[in-house]
Amino acid sequence: MLSKPLLKATIKQNYMVFLIIVAVLMLYLPIIITMYDPATQESLNKVLDTMPQGMIAAMGFSEIGADLIDFIGSYFYGFLILLLPMIYTIIACNRCIASHVDKGSMAYLLSTPNTRSKIARTQSLFIIVSITIMIAFITIVGLVLSNATFPDKLDINAFLLMNLGSLLLYYAVTGFGFFASCLFNDTKNSLMIGAGLPVAFLVIQMISDVGEKTSFLKYFTMFTLFDVDKIIGGQGYIPQFIALAIIAVVMYGLGFYVFKKRDLPL
Amino acid sequence: MSIIEINGLTKDYGDHKGNFDLTFSIEEGEIFGYLGPNGAGKTTTIRHLMGFLTPDKGSVQILGLDCRSSSADIMKHMGYLPGEIAFFDGMNGMEFLNFMAEMRGLRDTSLRDKLVDLFELDTKGKIRKMSKGMKQKLGIVCAFMHDPRVLILDEPTSGLDPLMQKAFAGLILEEKSKGKTILMSSHSFEEIERTCDRVGIIRQGELVATENMHDLRLKRRKIYLVIFDSSTSASRFADSSGFDIIDVNDNTVKLSILGNVTEFIKALQNYTVLDLNTETSNLEDIFMHYYGDKPHSASNM
Repeated sequence: MLSKPLLKATIKQNYMVFLIIVAVLMLYLPIIITMYDPATQESLNKVLDTMPQGMIAAMGFSEIGADLIDFIGSYFYGFLILLLPMIYTIIACNRCIASHVDKGSMAYLLSTPNTRSKIARTQSLFIIVSITIMIAFITIVGLVLSNATFPDKLDINAFLLMNLGSLLLYYAVTGFGFFASCLFNDTKNSLMIGAGLPVAFLVIQMISDVGEKTSFLKYFTMFTLFDVDKIIGGQGYIPQFIALAIIAVVMYGLGFYVFKKRDLPL
Repeated sequence: MSIIEINGLTKDYGDHKGNFDLTFSIEEGEIFGYLGPNGAGKTTTIRHLMGFLTPDKGSVQILGLDCRSSSADIMKHMGYLPGEIAFFDGMNGMEFLNFMAEMRGLRDTSLRDKLVDLFELDTKGKIRKMSKGMKQKLGIVCAFMHDPRVLILDEPTSGLDPLMQKAFAGLILEEKSKGKTILMSSHSFEEIERTCDRVGIIRQGELVATENMHDLRLKRRKIYLVIFDSSTSASRFADSSGFDIIDVNDNTVKLSILGNVTEFIKALQNYTVLDLNTETSNLEDIFMHYYGDKPHSASNM
């Protein structure tokens, strides 16, 4: 089913980037959680009101409610969770197939008794498991920290759903990255889709948040399917989650298919 | 039984690049030299044998299995040396060999260690910092270390110094005595001459000839450069002798001779010869001399 030595080598290749991203995430998450103060929340909103609305909205800070979950939802899950793990997944996706084909080391992998499917399975499993670990880690740290600083203040259900949503979003994002990695012969093209697409989605999402005039843009970004307000509100997020899961399955499936079928210039 | 069988293989990349209706087979225990100038389509054939490419037309089989659909099964018995060597970033030589052994499920390291000694390979250095020759040696060890039945080697001696080329030739002959089947590509005749039983020559994607090495040697023309004491004696020799004169330039005569050179030596006795050289014939020359009268070989070799 899987190639253990390849999995080991891939882990060795990627753990550094993984740890760096986790470290940066762990820098922000505690700061954001401890920054929450129910009393000053009102005055903070007043400060935000004095700033240009468009800019604040673009960063995903538009509607800050009074609860801890609203606060974390806006500050962490509105923007940071979309950006930081994405850096990791872009690098990991490109490395998993495309860079081996580009450099030629794929020739060595395929000169051993391992099928292309087995290699693709191993690499995709690494991506899926590693991003799951990353989000799970954020979830656990978030829960522990919130509970330590503000006991019983966090809407745990909504918090878990928010993390599930971001995980599904990342399955879909890495789906595109994996597919691009399988499809192209060189790193340049793989990155154009694997990195270009999610970055474009993020930018479009930011612009569409700015105001009424640009809000139609939300139909052009997959990130619309991860809607923090809906998740906290507890309504309308299920179809979005399902859509993300379907995108992920389809993109990974397409990746396996093209990698198995195509000509490799090795 | 044919170990490698290529039947009507066609892969058209346009601009007369690729492989066109290629058919040949390699028997068990045979060392087959696959000869052609750069860009002739040697690597394209090898990519098909490795299952990297799907043929437009025709079939490619190793050990009776289709190379594209059963490549993982074939690889159990195959050693491969790619033309361009690229490894994992950051591994050192031994880490790479261990990784490849694990990928193959290989436990026995005795052959690997023997090869490392034979090629004086330094396995401690980072691959990224290795010289081209050192990388080539690492690739060779990797191709042979699991004692495969079939070997496909893409330009195996490029980057090796003469001593290592000799060690490599010795290794090939040893493997041959064990009954291995080997296909090695090359653009140099000398490289293949030492070891191969049979040679296939490819040009612009088409197989022009397959020849027994023994027959090829008999047919082989050698080119001699004779320097006379004066241009008059040079031209006199060129005019009077019945040899195949290629060029006369001042006091130097260039000629080609097929087979033995007794007549040539006799004819030279009447002249003062300052120097006598053989020219190492490159592939194009050999090609021109073996197949020079074939219509498509004339101009754009």
